[in-house]
Amino acid sequence: MERTEVGALVRSAVDGDAAAWKAIVEGLGPLVWSVVRAHRLSDADAHEVYQTVWFRFAQHLGRIREPDKTGSWLASTARHECLKVHRNARRLMLTDDPQLLDRVSEDGAPEQSLLESEEAAAQSERVRRLWQEFEELGERCRQLLRVLIASPPPSYQEVSAALDIAVGSIGPLRQRCLRRLRARLEARGAT
Amino acid sequence: MNDDFDSGLLEEELRQAAAVLDPLPPALLQIAVDAYALHDLDARVAELTFDSLVDAIPVRGATDVPRMLTFTAGEVTLDVEVTAEGLMGQVLPPRPARVEVLGGPQPTTPLTADDLGRFTTATPPSGPFALRLHTDDDVVVTEWLRA
Repeated sequence: MERTEVGALVRSAVDGDAAAWKAIVEGLGPLVWSVVRAHRLSDADAHEVYQTVWFRFAQHLGRIREPDKTGSWLASTARHECLKVHRNARRLMLTDDPQLLDRVSEDGAPEQSLLESEEAAAQSERVRRLWQEFEELGERCRQLLRVLIASPPPSYQEVSAALDIAVGSIGPLRQRCLRRLRARLEARGAT
Repeated sequence: MNDDFDSGLLEEELRQAAAVLDPLPPALLQIAVDAYALHDLDARVAELTFDSLVDAIPVRGATDVPRMLTFTAGEVTLDVEVTAEGLMGQVLPPRPARVEVLGGPQPTTPLTADDLGRFTTATPPSGPFALRLHTDDDVVVTEWLRA
């Protein structure tokens, strides 16, 4: 999302415009989701962190100092909450809570829709292989790419806030990670 | 060969794969849309000023240590301890208050903090939560957190 556009939407939302709020959520929700997914949380944790980030943003709405940088604010808040989940898990190991485990698959298996038609099978196989190679990239590359492939694509400022890396190093890292991914696909004969 | 162009294509292909295999769940999108109701101009936000998860040095060998949180809004301080049994809170300076444990935009049943500012809940919050504190002349809401 364009920064000036976000800034204007935030100001409208502060003034009570619910449609502006919805536009912010639709424009930046996928970025928050990408940041959360980049940090490899359980589905239950991912859902809760996602909600926490938006609840806190709603709460701080009138106090956001730089509305144009809302994407970075959300990305960095998501990152901090993800890191807290990792810390908590290391100390408490509560993840076998049956209530949480039950909640995991409520959205159904997303790949199901892909497998529905025969002619989509070849395409879906390619997508599945691409995703598998992506998942098996080194952690740093997987994390960077998971944030970069949010839709709409995030700005480098937002990526920087999401992963705490310098804006200047994102371009070169991105190139390197995509090269590595392509090499893996070629090695598998998948391109 | 144009490396930039190829990278762009591969990244776009990966973006489409993510949209199919790991999309933002629609239910979460809706929750965030509904969260607009949490936008409250009247309440003061009590910022998280201490979180044992971040600020405390872990005790070696200690398991199931309570999570200690401190929120501050001006002269009001709220100390909270989250354990498996529930939530224990202390309003400082001590004062009676009505306390709501929020779990989202939906309404909740308020608790009462006694004359010394103490309150407890019988169950720990699950998922995101915030505390809304009503005193005679003031409404304070703690920053949203995950228990």
